[in-house]
Amino acid sequence: MDRSIIHINVADFAVAVERVLDRRLAGRPVIIAPEGAARAVVYDMSEEAYQAGVRKHMPLGWALRRCRGAQVLSPRPERYRQAMARMLKTALPYSPLIEPGDDDGHLFVDISGSSRLLGPPVDVAWRLGRHIQADMELVPIWSLAANKLVAKTASRLVKPDGEYIVEPGDEAAFLAPLPLFLIPGIESGDLARLNDFNITRVSEACRLTIDQLQTIVDQRGAVIHDRIRGIDPSPVRQIGQPLPKIVHSIELGNDIHHRVQAEHSLYRLVEQAGRDLRRQILAARRVGLILEYTDGVRRARQTAIRPATANDFSLFNHARQVLDLAWTRRVRMRRMTVICDRLVFPPAQRPLFESERRHMEKQDRLVAAMDRIRRRFGSQAVTVGRTLVA
Amino acid sequence: MATKTSNTNIPPILIGTSGYAYSEWVDAGFYPPGTGSARMLEHYTRFFSVTEINYTWYQMPKAPAMDRMRRKVPEGFYFAAKLTRTLTHEVDPDGWPAQAARYREGIAPLMQSGQLLAVLVQLPPFFRRNPQNRRYLAKLLDALAGLPLAVEFRHVSWATERVFTGLKERRVALVCVDVPDLPDLFPPLCRVTSPDLFYVRFHGRNAGGWRSGKMQKQFDYDYSEAELAGWSRQHIPEMAQKATTGIIFFNNHVRGQAPRNAQMLMAQMAGW
Repeated sequence: MDRSIIHINVADFAVAVERVLDRRLAGRPVIIAPEGAARAVVYDMSEEAYQAGVRKHMPLGWALRRCRGAQVLSPRPERYRQAMARMLKTALPYSPLIEPGDDDGHLFVDISGSSRLLGPPVDVAWRLGRHIQADMELVPIWSLAANKLVAKTASRLVKPDGEYIVEPGDEAAFLAPLPLFLIPGIESGDLARLNDFNITRVSEACRLTIDQLQTIVDQRGAVIHDRIRGIDPSPVRQIGQPLPKIVHSIELGNDIHHRVQAEHSLYRLVEQAGRDLRRQILAARRVGLILEYTDGVRRARQTAIRPATANDFSLFNHARQVLDLAWTRRVRMRRMTVICDRLVFPPAQRPLFESERRHMEKQDRLVAAMDRIRRRFGSQAVTVGRTLVA
Repeated sequence: MATKTSNTNIPPILIGTSGYAYSEWVDAGFYPPGTGSARMLEHYTRFFSVTEINYTWYQMPKAPAMDRMRRKVPEGFYFAAKLTRTLTHEVDPDGWPAQAARYREGIAPLMQSGQLLAVLVQLPPFFRRNPQNRRYLAKLLDALAGLPLAVEFRHVSWATERVFTGLKERRVALVCVDVPDLPDLFPPLCRVTSPDLFYVRFHGRNAGGWRSGKMQKQFDYDYSEAELAGWSRQHIPEMAQKATTGIIFFNNHVRGQAPRNAQMLMAQMAGW
């Protein structure tokens, strides 16, 4: 069956919510940033400020030099969460399959198979947009396509307002003339490597086979091959059904900027995540890390784990790589969050070579022994040396 | 002044449906089981020679997409396209001239290929005849001059001789509608105001569902042979004598009734 996915996007969501709350902000350049904080950076900005050169995560001082008349407001995440919850409620009569973004004004709504009840998908998309506008006074962009990838790309084309319908079967032709940076899921590293080969447009990348793409972007070749053709089988999740994942975070009481301390904290988080995974007899195929700095900036990075693992040592090796990717600023860290997702049952396949197999089995036995001790004598009964210093 | 396309091979009467991409038409048996939206137009063209493009009401037509669509159909297949809602239902008093220009650009591939038979200017029920709306409509028709225009009113206040005369002077077709007998609704008047085109839309006669606000109720109606016979014997032949081309669309899309009724009318027309 054809899928019909609506993407709703309220551009510059934080500013849009603030403007609903205070009408005097309409038409004026607005910057959302923690004003009093040292080295504060831009959290969100209005279209007027964007046109003046202000960008997200830009230091507030720079932003104000580029847009001198801007009104600066402190972020109020609770308000944005409330607005997001209300948007979700407005969309509920249209489908049980609604996937909201991270309090950022994005909703994916899957209305596949509901046309006998609700009418043609395009009419449903238009009505939903109007419903949100009437109910919340927010003017959303709406797009309709056969999958999330194409719907989101279409929304990007009409930002800050408008609508876009991509006819079923028209996905590849729709994407072909676009620049690669507009395609969700193609990361900056991929773009840089493709740019080295003078490949900047979807149509240019589409001429390459998977093998040729893998030569340029390694393992991500297959993913990019599908994305530039508009192939995205990922489902819209049911409301209240988050993807299974294991999340642990630590508040760094004394803000830190020290490698050893950071790794100690990271290992503790990985240990907790590993224990949860083993308790559920699962293994993670991806580990992610969110670093929050003292100036409010967040950095999130992740890496795939092959083969999937629940072993602390293996998880930590991957998490340490992610820490290298995420920790790029000379600003103290305030909070660290480890996320293990893409959970699967532990792989049955063992390493091919004897030495690798012995090493892995030794690590598994060690972790299993620690688990047994902790179950019997408590979680603090045995600890790894590197966590003692933290 | 609106002009007709220069293609002289267009049949005098074409019958089709308002839109063709309805997944419920698979359940209704019009499309074979498992037909995806991407294959519907191809299947539709085996039965009909014309369709009314609905989605141009929801979004401004984009020339590349229009060009791709026209290439999917066989020779001798034609389109009518709805005017975008920002020019009929949600008009920005300052921005509409730019919208009209964008519409002309977007629809250009169909116009240039001679596959565009009409642009349907469907006006909403709240668009009543008053000096302000009359001025707007006049300006809109001027802005779209050169396109084969057809105007559908939904409010009875427009059913006056002066309006028909004005349309005649501009060679703009008045859309003849088959609708429920309800107060304030523009009545079924078979007036031909353009020598180039007459345009008929069958919306169904579901009086109970018409103002429900739900398409699935508003357009849920199955015409009987007798109801269509009045059209095929009298009204359509009369209109056909006054215009060189006629296009007839069924908008009662719910449960596949539109293609079924369109085929019924085609059979009746062939039989007379």
